[in-house]
Amino acid sequence: MSGQEITLTLNGERRATPAHPGERLSAMLRERLDARDVKIGCDAGDCGACTVLVDGDPVCACLTPAHRADGRKIETVAGLLERDPLAQALEARFLKGGAAQCGICTPGMMVSATALLRQNADPTEDEIKDALGGVLCRCTGYRKILDAVHPGRDKGGDRQPDNIDPGGPGHVGEAIPRLDGRGKTRGSERFGDDVAPPGTLEIRIIRCPHDHAGFSIGDTGKFVEKTSGIVAVLTAADVPGDQDFGVIPGFRDQPVFARDTARFRGEAVAAVVGEAVCMAEFDPASFPVAWTPRPAVTDTDAATAPGAPVLHARHAGNLMCKGFVKTGDAEHALAVADIVAEGHFTSGFVEHAYIEPEAGYALPEGDGVTVHACTQAPVMDRESLAAILNLPESAVRIVPAGVGGGFGAKLDLSVQPYLALAALKTGKPVRMAYSRSESMQSTTKRHPSDIRLRIGARRDGTLSGMAFHGVFNSGAYASWGPTVANRVPVHASGPYRIGDYLAEARGIYTHGPPAGAFRGFGVPQAAIAQEALLDELAARLEIDPLEFRLKNVLENGVTTVCGQVFDQGVGIGACLRALRPAWQRERVAAANFNATASGHFRRGVGVASGWYGCGNTSLPNPSTIRCGITSKGEIVLHQGAADIGQGANTVIAQIFATALGVPVDRLRILGGDTAITPDAGKTSASRQTFVTGTAARLAGEALRAKLLARVNAARDARIDLTPEGIQIVDGSGRHSVALDPAAADDDGYVLTACETYDPPTEPLDENGQGAPYAQFGYAAHIAVIEVDTGLGTVRPLRMIAAHDVGRAINPLLIEGQVEGGIAQGLGMALMEEYLPGRTENLHDYLIPTIGDVPPIETLIIEEADAHGPYGAKGLGEHALIPTAPAILNAIRAATGLSLRRVPVTPSRLRAALKER
Amino acid sequence: MRYHRPTSIGDAVAIAQDASGTCRFLAGGTDVLVQLRADLVTPDDLIDIKHLPGMRDISRAGDGWRIGAAVTGAEMSENADLKREWPGVVEAMDLVGSTQIQGRATLTGNLCNASPAADSVPAMVAADATVTIAGPGGERTVPVAEIPVSPGRTSLQKGEVITAVNLPARAARSADAYLRFIPRTEMDIAVVGCGINLTLDGDTITHARASLGAVAPTVLLVDAIADALIGSTLGDAALDAAAAAASAACNPIDDKRGTIEFRTRVAGVLTKRAAKIAYERARGQS
Repeated sequence: MSGQEITLTLNGERRATPAHPGERLSAMLRERLDARDVKIGCDAGDCGACTVLVDGDPVCACLTPAHRADGRKIETVAGLLERDPLAQALEARFLKGGAAQCGICTPGMMVSATALLRQNADPTEDEIKDALGGVLCRCTGYRKILDAVHPGRDKGGDRQPDNIDPGGPGHVGEAIPRLDGRGKTRGSERFGDDVAPPGTLEIRIIRCPHDHAGFSIGDTGKFVEKTSGIVAVLTAADVPGDQDFGVIPGFRDQPVFARDTARFRGEAVAAVVGEAVCMAEFDPASFPVAWTPRPAVTDTDAATAPGAPVLHARHAGNLMCKGFVKTGDAEHALAVADIVAEGHFTSGFVEHAYIEPEAGYALPEGDGVTVHACTQAPVMDRESLAAILNLPESAVRIVPAGVGGGFGAKLDLSVQPYLALAALKTGKPVRMAYSRSESMQSTTKRHPSDIRLRIGARRDGTLSGMAFHGVFNSGAYASWGPTVANRVPVHASGPYRIGDYLAEARGIYTHGPPAGAFRGFGVPQAAIAQEALLDELAARLEIDPLEFRLKNVLENGVTTVCGQVFDQGVGIGACLRALRPAWQRERVAAANFNATASGHFRRGVGVASGWYGCGNTSLPNPSTIRCGITSKGEIVLHQGAADIGQGANTVIAQIFATALGVPVDRLRILGGDTAITPDAGKTSASRQTFVTGTAARLAGEALRAKLLARVNAARDARIDLTPEGIQIVDGSGRHSVALDPAAADDDGYVLTACETYDPPTEPLDENGQGAPYAQFGYAAHIAVIEVDTGLGTVRPLRMIAAHDVGRAINPLLIEGQVEGGIAQGLGMALMEEYLPGRTENLHDYLIPTIGDVPPIETLIIEEADAHGPYGAKGLGEHALIPTAPAILNAIRAATGLSLRRVPVTPSRLRAALKER
Repeated sequence: MRYHRPTSIGDAVAIAQDASGTCRFLAGGTDVLVQLRADLVTPDDLIDIKHLPGMRDISRAGDGWRIGAAVTGAEMSENADLKREWPGVVEAMDLVGSTQIQGRATLTGNLCNASPAADSVPAMVAADATVTIAGPGGERTVPVAEIPVSPGRTSLQKGEVITAVNLPARAARSADAYLRFIPRTEMDIAVVGCGINLTLDGDTITHARASLGAVAPTVLLVDAIADALIGSTLGDAALDAAAAAASAACNPIDDKRGTIEFRTRVAGVLTKRAAKIAYERARGQS
């Protein structure tokens, strides 16, 4: 490939570089002109993350031929922030308003918005949506971006950072901007593909094009020899340790490289390592492999039919595992109930669709390997890699890269084993970034569900019996399927008092992509069924749906279906009561609209609840936080909770700073590098604020105690960080703390603390009775929607979300979680369904755009929890659970239709309307 | 892969004619680069034509228009005269991709991609647009409807390249409109598209052309819709007849975006809605 020399002006500087035929402007900017602030999400013009300005106009750099930059003026977000006051003001609004979460889409958003604001200083909401409609965000739900773009529109509400004393300490309860925000707005945060130097060896995976196939690999030695620029091929034979990986003991069944049989479309069978210039043109079809397609079972009915091919010999009937909870006598209660509602509900695969495809960089170091990659679980990655590589854990170092969205899928290994194996085999640094379609084909999905549910009620409006049978399609490998099977029966009751309950969940193997963790671990699917039937019961009993729920909600002291009794912290009633005014107002408004509107439009209002246990189910999941004070008085926090955009870097620091009693901005925060930071567990199960947060509180308190002990100060003493050093002020006066450099440990700390917290749980017995979680968080949403009955479209008009978070550590970040969770729930309800082979990109797999997410009002409820730090509870997954059922219930209110399958696409809704 | 930057259309045609492998012309480049990454098509020769004379011009051709092959959607939207005379064509092109794509995507590229769901194509067909083709045998002019022959395939011969789209003169009291249906609000591929072009005498429709996209392997010119509209003042009976004609003309596929039944129904709904818009626009023209 020969390059023709072009010259361009990049951010005001004249640059010359070769442009290769067919090369993308985005690749040229990132790899040869050091503009890694240009992010890549899809290489197809679907996501807009790579937006740059060419002569002032926003374009997707991925769809702009590099040659076309010749003689042009290119501006990226880094350049705009250096030179354009509009962009600088925009950045301030993005930070202050919480408009950036993971940050992978932020440069594209900022560049597109700057182009708009240059032409239009006072854009309307529709004009902003038009300008940003081509930039996808999976974290924020867009509302805070909309507010931030408009110069006059940032809300400045009570909790906004503007209203905080600028000298405020940033302690618990303060809505401070995220501490790591600038790396996101400037594009300087290094995500998985931003770490490797240009010219690093690259890896491409050879993947199975069939749902199920036998295969044989040809002469790879000859292939390497005859293909210029290829330096190595990796197959199962190159895996020195465990051939299979996974996340649950006893279920580690996914091969690094398939051996003889590939069980899903997109499964890895080999990897090719080569020089960057050659890999750009590498054609996977040139790799010597012969496929023998075999009969595939791609849904749970087919996989459980007699005679179906068995995916894993140990699992007859393709039954991966079961989960079970039983209390009282559900069948009897249903038999004596005055009415019973029942339904059969189904859902498909849902893709996480974070904008950052999996990517990383690895290099041989010492006797082992260091892997920089996007991850939600650095320590689990280290354990898994050590087993695969047959190395001691000490020889594997994980340095988490920035994570451009995770939502569960980046808990599992993706690029890491290939990077580590290739680095060790070649002895050289290597890199790889999944293409969008590889990411979608090969990484985990939300489990498709097939749920049969019956709920009974008495005429007095109390529930009488519930029987739940759920079948979950785990795809070809277990991943987090056992967790789904366990969690669902514990949660399928919803946050309600049901004395007679039976719930069974089965995980089934099929020839599909592995289904794993995705925000809620199966609970959102179960909630759709359970909340729909509650609405149907309420309608038949002629009770207001919200009051019906309130009549049956869990309260303090009421036994859950697992026999657990919380004497404090049960906040679902408070959430529903907080929604009452909006519920009554919106129902009247919708009724008025429907009474007067002509044509095809009908409005509806729906409500739904959710609950979610924070942390692992009846299993240990400790977090450890380490901190230290250097001889110069610098306070260092080793913060290992992976921040995937949700804000752990900020929230954990706020908790620690509060406990220690210093301003949060005086902390130096080190990340989850496994060489320097202890294990804070994985970012999943809504556990980081709760579990790592508690460890941070304990560590802060311990360090404070040691500091105060130095000068014998009273417990309520004030810590002053002065230019002269740390001083302690109490009733007896001001004391300087002597920090003798000679007393420093190997890390330079004179004082240190290290604290671990593991939430108290108890095992579940054979009937699922026990104490699965130390705390639950609670939520209830109202959806207001409009249906175009002519076309079958559903337009959400407004969402109101009440969340019991125990204690709001950072209200701004809480709103961000709620809004982002709602956007994903909305997608699940109305448009998202992953079909292998058919939706492997972001134009066939639809996620909500800025035009799809309505205004969202968040009501924060604080029913303090005895275990959480300062009373706080987890939130990440709760935000999504009530959304889809609330939307479905709103559709029911608007049309009278009870829909049993999500997503409710226009085609499905129109068909249901016609059938009626 | 070889990249060519010829200095004339004649040279471009000669390079394409001599090419032995896969050859692609580069105007905006958006579809070509998408195919490249998706490993769908790896061209051996890329021929850049954007810089050639006339490729980026929107110009008057008699009373009609000539739109060069490399004119972008954004440039069309910025041309007030074109937008006034052919609002349907301009709004259809404006629906192709986001703002970030509009600065690169072209009418000709959208046509040559030969997707049954291409938004600009039904609008061009309703407008009775033609394309100018340069090729080894010289130049020829062909109706837009004859370019796509099946999904992903065009009637262009080896060495041929479209150099311009031609729109006819705009008659008095006439206007066009384009509507599409997509499941989400922005940035999606049409499930159904409908272009309507009407000419009135007083309030009565005297001429009509109607086309549908995404309901058959290629764009449809549906005379039966036009027949239902001609002679009417767009009353309910004419609209119902047009909708029925639209639904009857459909031969769609079942896919995740919409079932056959759904596309068939939506074609009727959109035909009514697009006809109303075109009619109101035409009544507003002197």
